[in-house]
Amino acid sequence: MELMKSENIVQDRQPQPQEEEEIMQQEEEEEQRFHVLAVDDSVIDRKLLEKLLKASSYQVTCVESGEKALEYLGLLHHSSPASSSSSQHHHQGHKVNLIMTDFSMPGTSGYDLLKRIKGSSWKDVPVVVMSSENVPSRISMCLEGGAEEFMLKPLQLSDLHKIQAHLLKSLPHS
Amino acid sequence: MEVGQMQRRLVDYTKSLFMEGFLDAQFLQLQQLQDESNPDFVVEVVSLFFDDSEKLLNDLTMALDQPNVDFKKVDAHVHQLKGSSSSIGAQRVKNACIAFRSFCEEQNIDATLRCLQQVKQEYYLVKNKLETMLRVKQQIVAAGGSIPMIELGF
Repeated sequence: MELMKSENIVQDRQPQPQEEEEIMQQEEEEEQRFHVLAVDDSVIDRKLLEKLLKASSYQVTCVESGEKALEYLGLLHHSSPASSSSSQHHHQGHKVNLIMTDFSMPGTSGYDLLKRIKGSSWKDVPVVVMSSENVPSRISMCLEGGAEEFMLKPLQLSDLHKIQAHLLKSLPHS
Repeated sequence: MEVGQMQRRLVDYTKSLFMEGFLDAQFLQLQQLQDESNPDFVVEVVSLFFDDSEKLLNDLTMALDQPNVDFKKVDAHVHQLKGSSSSIGAQRVKNACIAFRSFCEEQNIDATLRCLQQVKQEYYLVKNKLETMLRVKQQIVAAGGSIPMIELGF
């Protein structure tokens, strides 16, 4: 009886070969889509940006602050031990192809976030800064800080082709 | 009212909102983003705008009611409202916010109070109009009709 029991347990644990293949296919498909991290404190702008990006077949993760973005990227040093180990493992397993951030946010601003990213292991990920205000000094400051692009809000569907160009640039050279 | 009549009414009503400056091209962008996978997108965004704006207007009323007004705080709220109204295409609200911000800079209490009234007025106007428009859309869909695409040529 004991032998039979252990056999059953072993069978239940192993996924069927077909299921494994399906899971792998799904993961591969996800891997092939670009993943954008979108940062904005406005709930409306987050919803809009998410829709714009999804309409262009990008995978999107939206966060509501610079701090949450740093946490997602594993760049916040003072997170609790339990959460940091699991989140580091999880998020560093996920690639990020592009970061889009609003400029004016309370706490960690889009510019602060840009500088932190460019000074970290994520420095090669293109960062696009967005703002509702067309301030030339702000634009040059962001571009000098390493931003790929500065975009005026509200973003349009037609702005997405600029994004695509940056994402294609980020692909590894064959 | 039969579906054809409702559809014509909707087209005329929507056109008037653009002509009168209540809505601008950004609202068209919202409509373009709506599709079968997210058929309630416009309603959802507009609802978010209503909730967000009402909270901001309350915060503004309180902030301007203080003995010592913190104009930086007031400006921050107006900036947010300007951003969200711009994002959904509520042009007159956005313009009222732009005027509001210039008076915040001057720290002019009387002018900012007047601006607040102006913004509130524009907000309630556009809210009313959007709700009417969405209601007619719902009625058309409930009657089995389709929502006509608005051709505006700009």
